Amino acid sequence: MSDRLRLLSRRPLALVGIALVLAHLLMAITAPWWIAHDPTALVGPTLEPPGEDFVFGTDELGRDFLSRVVIGGRAAILVAFSAGLIAALGGGLVGLAAAYYRGWFDDSVSRLVELKLAIPSILFVSLFVTGFGQSIGVLITVIAVIKMMGAIRTSRAAGLQLMALGYVKAAQLRGERGPAIIGREMLPSVIDLLLVEFALRSSSALLLVSALSFLGLGLSPPTPDWGLMIHAGLSAIHSEPWLILIPAVCISTLVIGINFATEGIADALGLDAARGGAHG
Amino acid sequence: MADGPADIAPLLRVEGLSIGYRDAFGAMLPAVRELSFTLAEGASLGVVGESGSGKSTAARALLGHYRAAGKRTGGRILIRGQAIDELDPASLARLRGIDVAFVPQNPLSSLTYHLTVGVQLVEVLRTRAGLTASAARGRALELMTQTRLPDPAALFERYPHQLSGGQRQRVVIACALACQPRLLVLDEPTTALDKSTEVQVLGLIGELRRSLGVGLVLVTHDLNVVAQMCDAVLVMKDGACVEQGPTAATFAQPATDYTRELVGSVLRLDAAPPADRAQHTPPPLIGAQALGHHYHPGGWWRRRRAGAPAALQAVDLSLQPGEVLGVIGESGSGKSTLGGALAGLISPTEGRMRFQGMALAGGASARSREQRRRIQMVFQDPLSSLNPRQRVGTAIARPMQVFFGLNRRQAWDKAAALLDELGLEAHFLQRYPRQLSGGQQQRVAIARALAAEPELIVCDEITSALDATVQGQVIDRLLQVQARRSLALVVITHDLGVVWRMAHRVLVLRDGLVHEQGRTADVFSQPASDYTRLLLEAATSASRHRQDPALAPATNPVKDSAR
Repeated sequence: MSDRLRLLSRRPLALVGIALVLAHLLMAITAPWWIAHDPTALVGPTLEPPGEDFVFGTDELGRDFLSRVVIGGRAAILVAFSAGLIAALGGGLVGLAAAYYRGWFDDSVSRLVELKLAIPSILFVSLFVTGFGQSIGVLITVIAVIKMMGAIRTSRAAGLQLMALGYVKAAQLRGERGPAIIGREMLPSVIDLLLVEFALRSSSALLLVSALSFLGLGLSPPTPDWGLMIHAGLSAIHSEPWLILIPAVCISTLVIGINFATEGIADALGLDAARGGAHG
Repeated sequence: MADGPADIAPLLRVEGLSIGYRDAFGAMLPAVRELSFTLAEGASLGVVGESGSGKSTAARALLGHYRAAGKRTGGRILIRGQAIDELDPASLARLRGIDVAFVPQNPLSSLTYHLTVGVQLVEVLRTRAGLTASAARGRALELMTQTRLPDPAALFERYPHQLSGGQRQRVVIACALACQPRLLVLDEPTTALDKSTEVQVLGLIGELRRSLGVGLVLVTHDLNVVAQMCDAVLVMKDGACVEQGPTAATFAQPATDYTRELVGSVLRLDAAPPADRAQHTPPPLIGAQALGHHYHPGGWWRRRRAGAPAALQAVDLSLQPGEVLGVIGESGSGKSTLGGALAGLISPTEGRMRFQGMALAGGASARSREQRRRIQMVFQDPLSSLNPRQRVGTAIARPMQVFFGLNRRQAWDKAAALLDELGLEAHFLQRYPRQLSGGQQQRVAIARALAAEPELIVCDEITSALDATVQGQVIDRLLQVQARRSLALVVITHDLGVVWRMAHRVLVLRDGLVHEQGRTADVFSQPASDYTRLLLEAATSASRHRQDPALAPATNPVKDSAR
């Protein structure tokens, strides 16, 4: 493990990525204790430019923009990381089960994955959201389902390779049941892979949830959210461009940070991060 | 052909060559240390050593080629007096193919798969020898005839995947010979080939060497190949030369312990194989009648394809308790299919099996728990047969927990005893497989099989992934355990030496059919078929040097052992 840490420390981009992610997490977690204003309260004149009273100025309703930016990642990060975790773990288990059982289960899973990949994500979410409402729970579920598809494919491929190995065959010859073999023998062998899946799926989930909020399909006002803030700032893009630029920079730095960190970690674990890609 | 230096300088002279690799942290790890040798025009040198001994790295350096992160750290390589490491890239490119040519191990990956064989040969001839298109075509056909490719005109238009492994290797040799090089460097040229193909390809190389007078550097782990092909041998270990000298003398009287151990691991027919015990034993432990298996593409909507060749056909066998049966054959002969059927990995499509008087189903899940316990398997690759995330103790304890319901404490105590039986200390229980050597991993895998207290263990090529000197240790341990516990073993291998040492009886498989079957001593001393004779011949040439009365005072070992 210390060798892996040493390898990681030799990759400056990975360190930059880890620093960006940690900074964002720190900001999101501690923000409620130190922000100057209530992010939903009307505390000043509307569209005040950055200045002494309001460091980032105020938005179109007269709310403190700094407080909103600092707190605006919380909901999106929660949705993205929860969805990423569910996608990686759930997709990992489904993919391994498909590789283990083969037959009709594998065939159905593979066809479903292909079917899902053929439907545009935004369309898929809008159908879902129209049916079940726009709560955070619904968003996490639907984004997890979308992001799970890639994880299923990756872990199914890894699972097929594991099935040819002696330790899985030995467990089968002992007569152990499928769930026991998947849980005891196969899952621990792909945990590295799932860690990388989790990171990659989280970063693309963050982009997706921000895009959805921007389109009005994701988080809903008055929750402070970067995607929503960009949408609101759109009307003032020429006069007050910082209302769009600041939240956009926040989204980008977090996504870039996750991707850099993932690449470095995957490298240190001896995995090929390019395989999954951040677009899945 | 330049005169002058060629008259005085030998074809190849290597002086104190050292090569290092830079690891991920930037430190230089030596791969070759202070290697020196010379090779006269038309002479042949075999470079032998176990995996990781640096022999391939040294061979590539002869063409001025270093793998990524590899670098020459000292010494010189002179070809006809010309130091190749001082050449500029253009001269180095001219050197390759024209003065020195290389034949790599895997003939499939060394040919371009989307170009026909002819196009690839012509390309070499045009760019290297500067021939015109039509002259190159003529010369290519000539080379193909020279390398004994059947029907050159037809093969000219074929793609590499349409050729057999032996034919592909001939094409690669034809490419290497295209510009009439003076020195041919071959890196494990026959390792990927079957034994009977290997014999033919080696025969071709030897013949070409005599007719063209080309010098050979042949890198291999197989001492039999060196014995057949080379005048001199150089033994490498950990990047350094352990010993070098004329082949016959070196094999007959090795000067170092390491070489002695390597030579000792080669098949010798001078000790008797285990005696047959079929006469004085109870009814068979396991029996199979008319066993056959077809692989077919699976899936519930696909039709089973008729007419696909059977992997296994009409195999009858029976095994007594405590008896060791050797199963030999080339890749694709169906020997692993047979092992898989006995062990329960696959469900044979035809035939019946019985175990201890009871019917034995094909797949493990259809067998009774007791049957699953009593039949165990050890796999070829020791590393992948152990879960990398589990400690050795966990792996060995698991069968005892499953079959005997022991708790973790009891199972780990018994696991320690099993390790001891296999010559490993108890602290190995806490280790992870990756921290063990290949031989240690395989002994752990054997311990895991023994944990179920089986009556029969199917051993599928359990030594083929191990280095020669380690193979002997693993076999010794397994034989001790086999005798102590009166275990029956099915030993599947392509290595006749393993069979000779372990098996009471032997079964030769070819194309899924039983080709020959009998007591080990009988089959080895009087093979009933040419095929078995060929396998034997390919496996014993290194030891034949020691049967030479001038070199070693040995009686005829075959006669000796057949008593």
